[in-house]
Amino acid sequence: MRLKYILLLAAASALLAMPAAFAQTAKLETIIAPPTQAASQVAVAAKAETASTADHSKFKALQTNFKSGPQVTEACLTCHTEAAKQVQHTKHWTWESVDAKTGQKRGKKNIINNYCTSPISNEKDCMACHAGYGWKDSSFDFAVEKNVDCLICHDTTGTYRKLPGDAGHPVYERVEFPKGSGKFVEPADLKKVAQNIGLPSRSNCGSCHFFGAGGNGAKHGDLDSSLQHPGKYLDVHMDEKGLNFTCVTCHVTEKHEVSGSRYNVAAAVKGPAHLRGKTDASPAACQSCHSDKPHSGRMDILNTHTAKIACQTCHIPEYARNEIGTEASWDWSQATVMGADGKPTTRKDSAGRRAFDSKKGTWVWDSYVIPEYRWFNGDSTYKVIGDKIDPGKTVQINEIGGAPNAADSRIWPMKIHRGKQPYDKVNNYLTVQHTGGEDDTALWHNYDWQKAIGAGMKAAGLPYSGEYAFVSTEMTWPVTHMVAPEHDALSCAQCHSENGRLQNIAGVYMPARDRNRLLDLAGWTLVLLSLAGVLIHGGLRIYTSKKKEQLK
Amino acid sequence: MSANRIYLYKRYERFWHWSQALLIITMLVTGFEVHGTYTLFGFGKAVYYHTFCAWTLLVLWAFTIFWQFTTDEWKQYIPTLKKVDAMVRYYAFGIFRNAPNPFHKTAEKKHNPLQRLAYLALLSILSPVIWGSGLFYLFYSSWAALGIDGYLSLEAVALVHTAGAFMMLVFFIAHVYLTTTGHTPTAHIKTMITGWEEEE
Amino acid sequence: MLKAIVGFVAGVAVVLLLIYNFAGSLMFREIPSPFGVEETVARIQQNILNAGNGWSLSGLRNAAKPIEMDGGNVLPVLMIEACSTKYSGPILKDDSIRFLSNLMPCKISVYKKNDGKTYIGMMNAQLIGNLFGSMVGEIMGHVAADQAKFIVFDASKPAPAMIKGGSGGGGPAAAGAAGGC
Repeated sequence: MRLKYILLLAAASALLAMPAAFAQTAKLETIIAPPTQAASQVAVAAKAETASTADHSKFKALQTNFKSGPQVTEACLTCHTEAAKQVQHTKHWTWESVDAKTGQKRGKKNIINNYCTSPISNEKDCMACHAGYGWKDSSFDFAVEKNVDCLICHDTTGTYRKLPGDAGHPVYERVEFPKGSGKFVEPADLKKVAQNIGLPSRSNCGSCHFFGAGGNGAKHGDLDSSLQHPGKYLDVHMDEKGLNFTCVTCHVTEKHEVSGSRYNVAAAVKGPAHLRGKTDASPAACQSCHSDKPHSGRMDILNTHTAKIACQTCHIPEYARNEIGTEASWDWSQATVMGADGKPTTRKDSAGRRAFDSKKGTWVWDSYVIPEYRWFNGDSTYKVIGDKIDPGKTVQINEIGGAPNAADSRIWPMKIHRGKQPYDKVNNYLTVQHTGGEDDTALWHNYDWQKAIGAGMKAAGLPYSGEYAFVSTEMTWPVTHMVAPEHDALSCAQCHSENGRLQNIAGVYMPARDRNRLLDLAGWTLVLLSLAGVLIHGGLRIYTSKKKEQLK
Repeated sequence: MSANRIYLYKRYERFWHWSQALLIITMLVTGFEVHGTYTLFGFGKAVYYHTFCAWTLLVLWAFTIFWQFTTDEWKQYIPTLKKVDAMVRYYAFGIFRNAPNPFHKTAEKKHNPLQRLAYLALLSILSPVIWGSGLFYLFYSSWAALGIDGYLSLEAVALVHTAGAFMMLVFFIAHVYLTTTGHTPTAHIKTMITGWEEEE
Repeated sequence: MLKAIVGFVAGVAVVLLLIYNFAGSLMFREIPSPFGVEETVARIQQNILNAGNGWSLSGLRNAAKPIEMDGGNVLPVLMIEACSTKYSGPILKDDSIRFLSNLMPCKISVYKKNDGKTYIGMMNAQLIGNLFGSMVGEIMGHVAADQAKFIVFDASKPAPAMIKGGSGGGGPAAAGAAGGC
């Protein structure tokens, strides 16, 4: 009877212990509860003390009340005589990149990308991101030096802005932007800007590269405005309170040629870290500072991985690691669909990002995106304007090179952007469409695909059959920015497990992911048989010895 | 009593045996974790322990081979077929009838003929399989530099290594069980700890 | 007799061990969400606002933020805090169980895992309520019933906007009686 009471007591005490267990969880939550005062309001960086030996505000040539961008450039060129010529050799000016291996002409001018498609016939809008002035159609003269835009990269005041519609010219007069938003953009004081130039900061590069595809973070995912004032978690190198790298710290630039390009990625850099001053074929690669064997001590086994895996695969566990997020897909086939009232409409997603616009179609966004992984050797073959497609298949906007286990290939993290685009049903190529503008053929003005494609194809000099449909497309982007601090790199088991990050990567045997089922079956059968064998043998011994004892 | 005791295993021999046992058990446990059979230490740690034990065992073997030759103990592993049939018959039948073990251990002949064969097989078949595949595994990243990357695949190496591990596990089971077949179930183990064999 | 007692004790020990082992998973639930993190949060918030029974939102916490501020990375974890004065009142009135205010406000966490999918984590209010007497048990039963409705989604409705509220108090999320929780 007493036993019963003891048991009851035991059960009761066990129940009493449970709230204690909750108390523990609750404690944990208070630890991770955020402080109400957000420290995210990163202090605005004080104006950096310049190390330059020249104070540009003292230059006579710059003490002019400049009326236009080209006027400023002319002043710049009075001292920097070769600067414009240098810029004119770069992609920032030509919007063209020639593949040294295949001779294929890529670059924004020639390809149709997976976002806004092509700048052709839309120059007035798109050229807001051209490092030049006045590229409004195919008549643009690429040899005119004063049309090089120095300020977009060298302004340190943050007041110099270029808006769509002005063919690359900055804002000269106060203007409402976006139209109907009630927000206004003030013109910059070009004299002040010209006198306050400096090395490109993250904001300079970011003014275009953070906002590609017409939205913050939309295009790259590993580049967005959060990198203007990044915390350590987001990028261990750019950490504003730490190393505070700018873009050009890695993208070392010579003769205005910025190193590091996704058109030809240095995907498999080998060898030791490079000495300062050494001419480096790929200075923007991780290895140029870290070498291809950067891990030491107990971690040195990871150095055996660098022949197969890009640094980025482990050290950028997710990209778009913020609320800005990035575009996962853009479906143009939904463009020109009107709202319930028959008028153009827009819709946002739960996080406040664009989800639908009658002008442009539907988008899907995501934050903290887990990359997809691909073998990659740095090469990309693009669909350029006029390239044939197979509408029965998903069109690869860029076909990435590389093969499993090839010496020049590594496993890379990728952003795969998916979409739907119009194509010419008879000629089987992607179409160029006239989207921006106020004229009758502009898609965003008249919501008429037929007219927009007609005008776009005419500008591109390509026959259009008059029949269009939509085809699924994919564009592959190597992820290389937003490098996390070392303790946030992927752990071994995140790949070395059956359902890990690299579950779909072919060509390598990965312990704990791969095994031979037959060998395992045979092995464990053998082990079980021998266990059973010794148990039976031992059991028999015990049984026979007991029997003998009984006989005695 | 003391007259019936013989000093069978010297101090180094016992040290060798038990440290080797510990290393092999650890490598079995961590090895099957690396293989993906279960999660215990976590993949990274399992690899580290496994590799650490492998190098330790190699060093231990270096010392032991030296010891075997300087003490002439290597002769213990010379195989013989004499009395093998008697041993087999003993384990198959005699052991259940309390029949006497046909083999008598002496300091000069520590291992029964079956043991000799088993240890020789372990040494000449299993250990090359495991060490060979294991070292190739370990130096995977140097294959290209050694010019052998065209002839080997990691999958094949891993397959051989895993097969070796299964064989080692089977040996381990049989070995541990056979330690209980002395005149008392713990007699052999005691001998391996103290070095002294007490005769019946 | 001795054998029977030993057996009984052993049985009880096993049961207690099992309870100890599984209590955690009984106390909490995790369900996959068909939507992304933000949309899941927004839809749950709408469900809470439409639930009646005195429910209001009292905050939305991002548990990953402080870790990011500290220079670390975790996948997104958003915690929706909701409260119903109808249910909190009676518990807060009773001195003997006021410590249960620890469980307030009700929390539903929405997070992403390494498979890239979104999950919803909830406390098993019913089970926990039953541990603290019939009154709490009954109230928490109602809470559990309401909570079950919070995670029923109507995919045909467009994604609502996520309501970014401050924690416990101000902000649009704190409309209604949130201050009372």
